[in-house]
Amino acid sequence: MGSQRYLVRKVLHAIATLLFVVAFNFYLFRIMPGDPITILARSQHLSRADIAEQIANLGLDKPLPQQLLIYLGDTFRGELGVDLRSGAPVSQLIAERLWPTILLVGISTVLSIGFGLLIGIKGAWQRGGLFDTTSLYTSLVFYSMPEGWLGMILIVLFAGLLGWFPAGQYESPADLTGFAHIVDVLNHLFLPCLTLTLGYIGEYAIVMRSSLLEVRGEDFITTARAKGVPDRDVRRRHAVPNALLPTLTLVFYSFGFVLGGAVVIESVFSWPGVGRLTYEAIGELNYPILQGVFLLSSVTVILFNLAADILYGYLDPRIREG
Amino acid sequence: MRGVRRTAAAAIALGVIAALVSSGTALAQSPTESPQEKVVFDVGVDSDITGLNPFNLCCGPDYEYLELVYDLAIGFSREDLSPAPRIVTEWTPSEDSMTWTMKVRDDATFHDGTPLTAEDVAFTFTLISKYKMPFYKDYFPFDPTFEVLDPTTVVWKSTEPTFAPEIPAYAPVLPKHIWGRFDTVEGTPSADEAKEVRKAVKEFENNPPIGSGPFRFEEWKKGQFLRFSFNDDWWGGDSKTIDEVVIRVYDSDEAMVQALRSGEIDFAEGVSPPLFNTLKNDPNITTHIADGGCWGNIAYNFGGQGETATNHPAIKDLRVRQAIAHAVNKQEIVDRVYQGTAVVGDSILMPGKNGFWYTDIPTELEYPYDPAKANQILDDAGYLDTDGDGVREMPGGGEPLNFEVMTITDVEGSVDTGRLLKGYLQEIGIGVKFITVNTNKAYDLWYTGEWDIYVWDWCPDPDPDFMLSVFTTDQCLGWSDGCYSNPEYDKLYEAQQRALDRNERKAIIDQMQLMIAEQLPVMVLNYWSDLQAYRSEWTGFRPSPNVENGLLLFGYTTVDTYLELTFASEQAPGTGASPGLPAWVWIAVAGGVVVVIGGAIAARRRRVEDEA
Repeated sequence: MGSQRYLVRKVLHAIATLLFVVAFNFYLFRIMPGDPITILARSQHLSRADIAEQIANLGLDKPLPQQLLIYLGDTFRGELGVDLRSGAPVSQLIAERLWPTILLVGISTVLSIGFGLLIGIKGAWQRGGLFDTTSLYTSLVFYSMPEGWLGMILIVLFAGLLGWFPAGQYESPADLTGFAHIVDVLNHLFLPCLTLTLGYIGEYAIVMRSSLLEVRGEDFITTARAKGVPDRDVRRRHAVPNALLPTLTLVFYSFGFVLGGAVVIESVFSWPGVGRLTYEAIGELNYPILQGVFLLSSVTVILFNLAADILYGYLDPRIREG
Repeated sequence: MRGVRRTAAAAIALGVIAALVSSGTALAQSPTESPQEKVVFDVGVDSDITGLNPFNLCCGPDYEYLELVYDLAIGFSREDLSPAPRIVTEWTPSEDSMTWTMKVRDDATFHDGTPLTAEDVAFTFTLISKYKMPFYKDYFPFDPTFEVLDPTTVVWKSTEPTFAPEIPAYAPVLPKHIWGRFDTVEGTPSADEAKEVRKAVKEFENNPPIGSGPFRFEEWKKGQFLRFSFNDDWWGGDSKTIDEVVIRVYDSDEAMVQALRSGEIDFAEGVSPPLFNTLKNDPNITTHIADGGCWGNIAYNFGGQGETATNHPAIKDLRVRQAIAHAVNKQEIVDRVYQGTAVVGDSILMPGKNGFWYTDIPTELEYPYDPAKANQILDDAGYLDTDGDGVREMPGGGEPLNFEVMTITDVEGSVDTGRLLKGYLQEIGIGVKFITVNTNKAYDLWYTGEWDIYVWDWCPDPDPDFMLSVFTTDQCLGWSDGCYSNPEYDKLYEAQQRALDRNERKAIIDQMQLMIAEQLPVMVLNYWSDLQAYRSEWTGFRPSPNVENGLLLFGYTTVDTYLELTFASEQAPGTGASPGLPAWVWIAVAGGVVVVIGGAIAARRRRVEDEA
């Protein structure tokens, strides 16, 4: 009974958040200074009349509340509008960018979580040891580096100087198919993926480490040791499962952000993902694209949070009760 | 029993890895040694094209795309950018300059095999002028009509005497059999009808684009690259070496430069000054400083935008603007802000891009750097610092000369130029308050007139008409910087539009340039450069226009250069593939991961069994 109410409450909460985000996004982008048509118009030498016509064509001349209603209606019908610059449907533009983003951000999230947790667990268990200090400091150094800068250093080193990997983009402009295409994409993927992975290992390592250290001091661990459980099994069976709970939130949170892309790294590596689409759209105030991307990433973040909440309640009954 | 199972599992795992490795190496043969013999010329640019529809073009590499795939009716000579035959080979005016007869070449075909005739030329011109297509329509003034006499002759009939037909319309010749569907209105369209057509035309995706140009469109991967292959049937001749041109988009300048260093691309367009200077020492790379076609300036606000305008009254005083001109050290701005890659500028038309029309401004109208003289002018004009705070006040005391200077973060050099400007103005007792904004915000403030001086840029067309129009009274709240108004200048502007003789027009335009230089509605600071760099094994570049700082590519009609390039090197040029690890390395990595994970699982299972 209690758990059902918990579930319903969480779902309703998620829906309310989503509605708020949709309406908020609409105003958020319109508060930004400038208007998109003038930005395009200067390079085309458009006259004031031409500009007015363009604005009317795109429905940007209507009062804001009316624009909001149209936008909400379109959104619920699943229409995300058209790119102000080229007139292409936004849903199509986002769909084209989705796969590269999933590949890059997804893989690097998995890798950084994997390595991060391992480092955190091993470090916490041998706290203060050589492994702990070196791995912790190394991963924190990478974590605190501006990721764009790290990416550029890797480009200069591995692309410019050594010529081992491409300096950017997703694939070669050559007719490669099948296996050769996969290898080509992997080669392009390597540097941006390495940058993101290095950049985020620290985040997971430190959360895992501190949470495990906390658990390590608890009574049930002492009890287990007193029972004569081998050290390895104390860690594996008793400590880690309990310490994983806070990390789980972070993991779900990170996966929620995958579809939003990695704005900086995708731009540094000219990776044709959602993050770069956002970056370009901000520069030209391309409202429909920005709205579409934010809608997509809001939905995924909210869904993953919901999933985390539900799972959390399942794993830790205390939460359900509260 | 258990031991047997483990051995069997290990054997299977090994077998899988071996199979993967062997099939992988056989299949992949790594992209670097692919069998294709195509010669690909890779060009790096810093932004993607807007779209494939010529009516949606805007900036960046859009025009390179346009000229690769389409032919212009009349082109630009690579010698001096004067009109040159392209699809239209001859153009002859009637006695009264109201009727121009154009000869269309008979050997051009579109990429889908349809012959290009006078019908297509007349159709393109009609579509643009009849429906008033933005941007292009200005090339067709006075509501002209176009008549096809025979497959090689078009007659341009104007309602007033005009020289417009011999100004190359920077518009592609479109195939009538594809675009004809948009010309839906018989006779003269009403305003609403024209609007509908414009909307339909702009919404057309135009994929694949069919033109008659030297290259066929192959593919566009948005945000990544455009690929073009040489059109064997092109009327203009053969390509010496290049089979394909690929335009690759790099969002980061650093990545583009590194790609050039590693040979991933052959040509980098629009490199930033600091990176450009690092390329100069690379033996494999040739650098070229070309005329960028834009000039940096400071512009003044004269008010006139309405109630929102906050222009300072002193700006309207020519003596104040002259004093500022004397106080600004243009050479220092070039050296420090643009690291020597720009050149000091003087006129609103440019020596390279506007060639014939450019007027070298005499030294006295350039107001050479002389802070003492600047101070003298302000003293004489009565702008004195009466309260001793280091800032002058309006004559007779009153409002101090504190100017709001707008600098724009994403216009190259604007913010840094602003900083230097602040120092120059302090020297002559003028205070500066910065408004530092991005371009979006700058447009807002520009139109509302909430600024006194801004640091921005202009990019003239080869034909001077548009650039000259910016300073006319009519352009207030249009393209005018700060609503400058000078009836004398307006008259000259109209006169140059009606002058039918090139030299007569040039004489008027000379006068106009001198007037702007003297009256200083803007102060031209510098002519920007387009920094280009290419792999040194390529030869055959020639600047267009044919001066030291002409453009190698990405200029007017420089697409012909692609056909003339050859490479002088033992190393074959790029085949389009990027560098990377060969397939077997990736397979080994994948195999390694399988072994590690498999090992961990096996070890775990073993322990579980041990405990059981």
